[in-house]
Amino acid sequence: MNRILKMAMKDLKLLLRDKMGAFFIIGFPILMGLFFGLIMGNMGSTGGGGSQMRICIVDQDNSSLSQKFIESFQQNESVELKEMADLETARESVRKGQRVAMLVLTEGFGETAGVFWGEAPTIQIGADPSRAAESAMLQGFVMEAIGSLAGSRFQDQDLMNDFLEKSRQDLEDNESISVANRLLMKTFLGSVEGMVESIDALQTESDESSAAPGGEEGFQFANIEAIDVTRTIDPKSQRGQVMKMKSRWDVSFPQAMMWGVLACCAGFAISIAQERTQGTLTRLQVAPVSKFEIIGGKALACFISVIAVIALMTVLGIQLGMRPKNFPLLILAAVCVSFCFVGIMMVMSVLGKTEQSVNGAGWAINMVMAMLGGCMIPVMFMPQFMQSLSVVSPIRWAILSIEGAIWRDFSFTEMLLPCGILLAIGASGVAVGVQVLKRTT
Amino acid sequence: MIKAQDLRKNYGENVAVDGLSFQIAAGETFGLLGPNGAGKTTTISMLVGLLAPDSGTVEVGDASPGESDPTHPKVRTLIGIAPQSLSLYEDLTAKENLRFFGQLYGLSGGHLNERVTWALEFAELNDRKNDRVKTYSGGMKRRLNIAVALIHEPRILLLDEPTVGVDPQSRNHIFESIHRLQKQGMTILYTTHYMEEAQRLCDRVAIVDQGKLLALDSVSGLIANHGGTSVVKAELMGSADPQLVESLHGGSLEGSTVRFESDRPLEQVAELTSKGMQFSTLNIAQPDLESVFLALTGRSLRDG
Repeated sequence: MNRILKMAMKDLKLLLRDKMGAFFIIGFPILMGLFFGLIMGNMGSTGGGGSQMRICIVDQDNSSLSQKFIESFQQNESVELKEMADLETARESVRKGQRVAMLVLTEGFGETAGVFWGEAPTIQIGADPSRAAESAMLQGFVMEAIGSLAGSRFQDQDLMNDFLEKSRQDLEDNESISVANRLLMKTFLGSVEGMVESIDALQTESDESSAAPGGEEGFQFANIEAIDVTRTIDPKSQRGQVMKMKSRWDVSFPQAMMWGVLACCAGFAISIAQERTQGTLTRLQVAPVSKFEIIGGKALACFISVIAVIALMTVLGIQLGMRPKNFPLLILAAVCVSFCFVGIMMVMSVLGKTEQSVNGAGWAINMVMAMLGGCMIPVMFMPQFMQSLSVVSPIRWAILSIEGAIWRDFSFTEMLLPCGILLAIGASGVAVGVQVLKRTT
Repeated sequence: MIKAQDLRKNYGENVAVDGLSFQIAAGETFGLLGPNGAGKTTTISMLVGLLAPDSGTVEVGDASPGESDPTHPKVRTLIGIAPQSLSLYEDLTAKENLRFFGQLYGLSGGHLNERVTWALEFAELNDRKNDRVKTYSGGMKRRLNIAVALIHEPRILLLDEPTVGVDPQSRNHIFESIHRLQKQGMTILYTTHYMEEAQRLCDRVAIVDQGKLLALDSVSGLIANHGGTSVVKAELMGSADPQLVESLHGGSLEGSTVRFESDRPLEQVAELTSKGMQFSTLNIAQPDLESVFLALTGRSLRDG
């Protein structure tokens, strides 16, 4: 065992000193993980900034109410709002696809916003015609923000008093209104004034009594609560699977791990051919070292490096937002994946006698396994026939086992199938590889 | 120390080794001399157990026949091999290569450190011990290749063409190193296609060609038995008696140049001088292993 360990350590040292090899094992998978993660956009329930609707707003009114409207909009987590100085800049950003839509608060917006009578405030919306669904959603958000302005108006006594005074003046000036109606409206305005004063008094009391629950909530027309009416989704369906993800990195990092694993696999397969061509295998063979120990050293080095790649990618994924659900199962998956690819490495190493032939054959096999197994396009996004075909690729089972621990929420029993297949492939590979290596050395 | 008996090895239709038999005594430096493709490397591979002979036996060491098989772990510790191809990890340093191979032979701790230090001094690589092997010259790599073979203090050293691609300075260093090992009593098997090296280093030489043993003896014995006579060429000062020249073995006179063959050239030149012949230049070509190979095969060693 000591000699196996010494040989494994030597191989790991050589691996780390080969800058290009180290890049393909560590650097390239990170790039792939980031690349696929970024192109997957807002997949997952915590997709981050990618899920926000990007809109812009032009405030031509510049009143306190228009500013309150903008503040209200900025608090909406579904929207990323950018204030723009002029109409043309805003229009251009929508034309160029930088923003989904533009809002314009025209002059006079603040005079009538949040009032239930009289003329409604004007808000102009210019939306990208290709984003109709988001445009409709935006109109909803606008109505919500306008609603919140009504609350603001009632909470701000000075603002309301100014508005009531202007309304009384308009009432006096308008001769077309009948005496009875004028009296009725004056009475209504008096009631509103009284109500505003009451609210102000209540708020003062509330401010003095900090213990009052919900004291900072202020006036609301209604407390809106969302009710989950999502239809039942088959957890095995594509949508069902996507819904389980916490972030885009949940998918891209298992893929990235596999690129690193494949690079390890190819690297160690080549190193066996390299030992042969550079003559060091001769020295190993004439030393008091058994063939089992020579092969065992390579296998152990490959196993350790695959585990290290998975661990490193897990740490990086966590930094970016990947949240593994079950670490013990992730360790189980990592061990099974490592064993499987040690076996594949053994088979690859006997595919040729020179480094070039092993390298060529190894990467050809790797690319086929990667394409079929979901290293490039996740299996769940593949057409049905490709999904069926992917069962022949060890990569599919490797990704499934890792995803099972990261976001698929597999139980131990559910892990048995992918892990069992990986172990079987690994055992077969080791058996074939060892037999051929024994014969050829 | 090494006994090869009727070794045969074929690669398909090609006969690489054809009934080779020899014995190497402890402390002896034994040369396998032959052109490229003569079967020297195949023979070494069978001696260290890398290749199984198709027929014949190999015994290494002093143990009983059952424990003298070259694949036996105990026998392997007796042998150090410097293969013809540089068998080193180019991305490791000299020190790391020596430590790694030392560990494979079970060396550890202080003893391993001592042996690594010794081997670095032996290869004169102390000042470059922490540099990666890929930065070394061909000669430095060859020296390290031999030092790695010696890291575990073997009793038998197999050197397979150790001076191929080596500059004259490193070649001399290798020769000096081998002389030191000879003085320490090491048994050495040296394969080469340079007859000068075999002549300079080996106690006995086996001449092989196309897998067959052509002759086996000491260098002087081989020359005496197969090398023929010395050839003397001389430029005359004045005239010579043609009858005297013709009486010499293989004698001829062309202008002022006399040519003849002799087993004792210097004595014969002295006799001719006493008979009145005077020479302005004298060239005596003594037979060597090249002559032996030519005599045995009808080809020059360098033709191979």
